[in-house]
Amino acid sequence: MNFYLIYFLVAISIFGFIAVFSLVSVYAERKISAFIQDRLGPMETGKFGWLQTAADILKLIQKEYIVPALADKVLFTLAPVIIFVAVYLGFVALPWAPGLVPAHMNLGVFYVFAIISIEALGILMAGWGSNNKYSLLGAVRSVAQMVSYEIPIGFAIISAVMISQSLDLQVINYNQGVLATEQIRFFGVYNVNKIGGFLAWNVFQAPHLLVAYVIYFIASLAECNRAPFDLPEAESELIGGFHTEYTGLRFAFIFLAEYAMMFLVAMLGVTLFLGGWNTPLPNIGSLHLADDTTGVFWGIFWLMSKCLLVVAAQMWIRWTLPRLRVDQLMTLCWKVLTPIAFACLVISGLWRLLIVG
Amino acid sequence: MNLAQVIFYILTAITIGSAAFVVLSQHLVRSVFMLFVTLFAVAGLYVFALADFVALTQIVIYVGGVLVLLLFAFLLSSKESLEGMEKIPSGLLSAHRLPGALISVLFLAVLGFIFFQIDFENLNWIKASVANGNVISVSDNTIRNIGINLMSKYLLPLEIVSILLMMVLIGAAHIARKEPKAS
Repeated sequence: MNFYLIYFLVAISIFGFIAVFSLVSVYAERKISAFIQDRLGPMETGKFGWLQTAADILKLIQKEYIVPALADKVLFTLAPVIIFVAVYLGFVALPWAPGLVPAHMNLGVFYVFAIISIEALGILMAGWGSNNKYSLLGAVRSVAQMVSYEIPIGFAIISAVMISQSLDLQVINYNQGVLATEQIRFFGVYNVNKIGGFLAWNVFQAPHLLVAYVIYFIASLAECNRAPFDLPEAESELIGGFHTEYTGLRFAFIFLAEYAMMFLVAMLGVTLFLGGWNTPLPNIGSLHLADDTTGVFWGIFWLMSKCLLVVAAQMWIRWTLPRLRVDQLMTLCWKVLTPIAFACLVISGLWRLLIVG
Repeated sequence: MNLAQVIFYILTAITIGSAAFVVLSQHLVRSVFMLFVTLFAVAGLYVFALADFVALTQIVIYVGGVLVLLLFAFLLSSKESLEGMEKIPSGLLSAHRLPGALISVLFLAVLGFIFFQIDFENLNWIKASVANGNVISVSDNTIRNIGINLMSKYLLPLEIVSILLMMVLIGAAHIARKEPKAS
């Protein structure tokens, strides 16, 4: 029975993490936007406004559920659940530290990629169920964008997977640090199995993956529907996009899914390209920095700090860049990102055949 | 019954129930969304057959691709053509439904015939494989096997399929592009 108890505990702790992360990151987002726009941001609730998001969630919980009279009630009610569960299930396969992964599976990368694609369906469900032209337009835009950007994101992921030769996220992690079981070489030349640190990360094992990571990062912004790709919720045209009609806790779940998605794509990118839970500090001569900073708690610490940096970059970009037009969005995806991603894929194959051998 | 069997039967019940809903419901959009449940439950059944790669491929292709395409086709089709569909007489043996009913009954008969004819426990090739130790266990890494087979034994079919897909892509791009103005 203990066996099942652990499963429940893991599930609850992932949910708790998502909730806490969303609370903190909404506050961080407000403060970052305020800093960028030369304002103060929330200041009233608590010292420096740090209770603001807690007050917001209390308000959302108390609000009435409003279902529009002409909405499809079943689809309308189910949509936020599907959107959230799709993102929540994605966390199952992502490793946190050496030996610490909620569910160990051989096909981790493919699983995350597959389960995220369900979110598109939830969004269409919300847009159709609301029976509102703004919601429907927002949902159609959102899904068109997500389906298009799945192609460059897929190729960027495959080019990283070709270098690490595994779909198992934990194996990919192990082979980017001092715990590697295979030969790893900095730029495909120097053996860094003993040195580790940032030199062993995938982006430094094969430098073209740096380009692949940039593609992944841009495309992941589009997958999360965040600025500069937030056309699905362009306020000036579509009010709130697919979640226009949602209130209270249902809205909170859509919001939670958005922030969870930000962390999920950051975590997948960090795992595939930036060394995952591996330390950035290399062993230098007799100074065993990499060996000393590898472990379960260090793993969580490094992973969290890398992911939070990526999330901060996502926020920074949101408040710096203006929104793209629909045609620019599609041009960027199909004429710029996809060919470069293809090139990365080809280079990965050649790299594996010619340089690593 | 152990837990795995309980989950198996729950998944089968969901598959059959949701598939029945897809066919019987008058509400077209809900049918399409219910198809998602069916496909998802079938993916679960694939996992029970130790085909986790097929299960995930099913989700990527059918849920992320085909189902979204179906929904888009539905959203973009005009209201009149959908109303025309509702006017089709709904008797089980009407002219519109007779071919479909016939095909499904015959297919059921074929399936039933096979099911009762073959003793699955004592098939020769299954016994031979078990005797040779040619079996997959739950913890095996199936993806390596699939990759090696695709790149060696089944390379020609793979290439033929990829050429077909390439042709489809070029054709779609050709249909979708703007005709240059004749000047």
